[in-house]
Amino acid sequence: MTRTRMLLMMGIVAMSGAMLPQSGEAIPAFARKYGYNCTMCHSSFPRLNDYGERYRQNAYQLPGRENEEKTVLEGPPPFAVRLSGGYTSYSAQNSPDIQEQEEFLMNGVDVLSSGLLAPNIGYFVTLLPQIDESRGVEAQDGTLESGNVMFSNLGSPWLNVRVGRMEPASSAFSVKRKLSITPYEVYSFGAPGVATLADTQDGIEATGHGRGLAYAVGYLNGSENNRADDAPQDVYARASVVLGAGEGQTAGQRLGVIGYLGQTRPGTDEADGTGDRQDLSRVGFDASLNAMHSNLALQYLVGEDDQLLWGTTEDVEFSGGFAELSVMPCTWIVGFGRFDWVDTPSDIDQDITRWTGGARYYFVDNLALHVEYSHRRQHQPDAPVATEDFAAARLDLAF
Amino acid sequence: MSRMGMCVWVMLALVLAGSAGRASGSGFLANGPLPPVPVPADNPQTDAKIRLGRALYFEPRLSADNTISCATCHNPKTGWANITPTDTGIGKQVGDRNSGTIVNSAYMQFQFWDGRAGSLEEQALGPIHNPIEMGETLDNVVRKLNAIPGYRDMFQDVFGTDATTDGIAKAIAAFERTIVSGPSPYSRYLAGDREAMSPAAVRGQALFNGKGHCSACHSGPLFSDQGFHNLGVGMQVASPNPGRQKVTNKPGDLGRYKTPTLLNVAVTAPFLHDGSEKTLLDVMMFYNRGGVPNPNLDPQMLPLALTKKEMQDLVAFMEALTGTYPVMEAPPLPPDSPASAETGKGGAL
Ligand code: HEC
Ligand code: HEC
Repeated sequence: MTRTRMLLMMGIVAMSGAMLPQSGEAIPAFARKYGYNCTMCHSSFPRLNDYGERYRQNAYQLPGRENEEKTVLEGPPPFAVRLSGGYTSYSAQNSPDIQEQEEFLMNGVDVLSSGLLAPNIGYFVTLLPQIDESRGVEAQDGTLESGNVMFSNLGSPWLNVRVGRMEPASSAFSVKRKLSITPYEVYSFGAPGVATLADTQDGIEATGHGRGLAYAVGYLNGSENNRADDAPQDVYARASVVLGAGEGQTAGQRLGVIGYLGQTRPGTDEADGTGDRQDLSRVGFDASLNAMHSNLALQYLVGEDDQLLWGTTEDVEFSGGFAELSVMPCTWIVGFGRFDWVDTPSDIDQDITRWTGGARYYFVDNLALHVEYSHRRQHQPDAPVATEDFAAARLDLAF
Repeated sequence: MSRMGMCVWVMLALVLAGSAGRASGSGFLANGPLPPVPVPADNPQTDAKIRLGRALYFEPRLSADNTISCATCHNPKTGWANITPTDTGIGKQVGDRNSGTIVNSAYMQFQFWDGRAGSLEEQALGPIHNPIEMGETLDNVVRKLNAIPGYRDMFQDVFGTDATTDGIAKAIAAFERTIVSGPSPYSRYLAGDREAMSPAAVRGQALFNGKGHCSACHSGPLFSDQGFHNLGVGMQVASPNPGRQKVTNKPGDLGRYKTPTLLNVAVTAPFLHDGSEKTLLDVMMFYNRGGVPNPNLDPQMLPLALTKKEMQDLVAFMEALTGTYPVMEAPPLPPDSPASAETGKGGAL
């Protein structure tokens, strides 16, 4: 048995041990620490509610209760595991990718640890163990998805600093805590090797909040195509305002703007890019609107990548975004529908549209049945439109 | 399918079977059964002291015009609390606070909504010389009691002295320590009787400890963190009552009030420190709006997006926190001494 299989096995044994005797006990790391249900912080896990968002912004301390917190050494072990798996059906037409796939799949294992190291110093780590592909198990690159330390309330709630690997300005729409399996297309779109808002990055971020206003500014390594000896050049800034009480997650109307400036090298070499560093930029507007147990998430983003990154004769300007409506009539069900689009200039002609619909049904706070269907179309220069159909029914478990 | 994949699926199926049905209120052990009542070392419980305290509790002669006793505002028949939003003391003067229940006060670290008294002993004398509650002076109360032979004997018996302010406080406190709640549907549920709470109350428990964020503050066996929070109650006016700030003088304590226990809360309407909400469902609507916006609002207060049904479930859960509590009539009170005219009439309420 390989190490990853061992790990998987152990995870599953632990899971059944924890789950079987007492149904309905919701217990991931934070919930365990406080004795709370997951719904204290999640409207529908993994999405955070307003309380959870405040908890996160406060370096994993209950809002306003910094003096009463216990550190990781004083509480139960601060570990949690997230596991998902189920039936996946995927088919692609006119695509260089894999054509058809239909099988039961284990799709992901995350090990999380988070907590408080000392008053106002929190940390968050997500580790993805490496998993080899085998029939029934999807390959997973072993990686440290996030690992950061946050120093909060440096004089006031207007200055908090997070250092390490994190999601840049994730208070817009977190790609790690979204409802759907399918990605936010516009965040991942860009020249080959370009990373902006699609994934976690390494760097330092300062944030602050109060009276409905919030900001985040960060300084990051940027894309993988930069070389090890390239000094970090990527910066971003975000500002948002919430109208009405709340954080815009399930209460209040949140409006935000974001800007990202970075540099990377062209080329898709395994390790490094080739050639000189070139500029890229993103500017976006987002809104998270709440009414009647529903949330409307809107993102509009304009991007510009230097021509040398794409190998075109002009800089590539694209725009895109998404609109997602989710409805949560009670704590145990959420339905969502999203439209993603990306408009590209004719010389690269890679326009994307994607329709996604799905629902999550929570048997208990920390076990959801996830069903999702998504249809994607992408233009290809000098080739017929590539289409993809994705459908999945999975169990998503965190404990 | 590989053997590995097979195992995974069998396990997942087992998990599913094990958790059939939705979250049946997760066990937050923090809200466990009540511990024994804490008793201060310098005021041990004795039967004679409790008997004296009970008489004093029902004693209208502790008030200036001999009409108001502790039991007038903390009436055993209405859950040891009052049913009007704020209280009417001597001469029909109306206060600005809702009288909490004294059931389980023995467990609280702080007394009064703003926590201005630390112990029951410290608290007991407050109402007597509060001008709009019982409006008496402590010296005069001591004089009145010592003029009543029955009381003088009881004080001698318990403390070996005549009536003193200290003795009055200790006796009343000792009596109050016997007014604690007994088994409730919730405590029987905790002890393993899964039928003790209705399905609505069980759903309410999960909400209480999750989407409603209630257990962030209403935690522990008493359903109180023994802390002070600003929910915005009464903060909509130009110069609101300072609440806890009046005691500590800290700006951050403006509008903060003690988290009350929720044991027996269902029998102590109206609610909140100013009695501004009539029913528990009204209180839930107040929370669902996220309280009243004000600069010092507790950051844990947020609009909750609860549905009507979820609010009803929360109320059902709070109703399941109603335990038995002692119900009693006023005991026979020692008659006035025929020699003393100033003490007025004795007797029951
Ligand atoms: C005129 C009505 C009135 C009378 C008489 C009265 N109280 Fe109170 N009591 C109140 C009110 C109103 C409060 C809440 C005041 C506050 O918190 O600021 C209160 C609070 C208390 C509390 C604290 C409860 C808590 O949860 O903090 C105790 C204990 C108490 N009273 C005991 C007594 C005793 C003992 C007497 C008789 C000596 C007495 N009261 C007489 C109205 C009264
Ligand atoms: C931020 C801390 C906090 C949270 C969260 C909180 N409470 Fe309270 N609760 C308090 C405080 C403080 C008071 C007294 C406030 C006042 O009167 O000004 C109170 C009062 C109450 C009362 C009135 C009790 C009485 O005797 O008048 C009820 C009922 C109640 N809370 C239930 C709940 C429920 C149910 C929830 C969850 C939906 C909840 N609380 C959430 C702190 C909190």
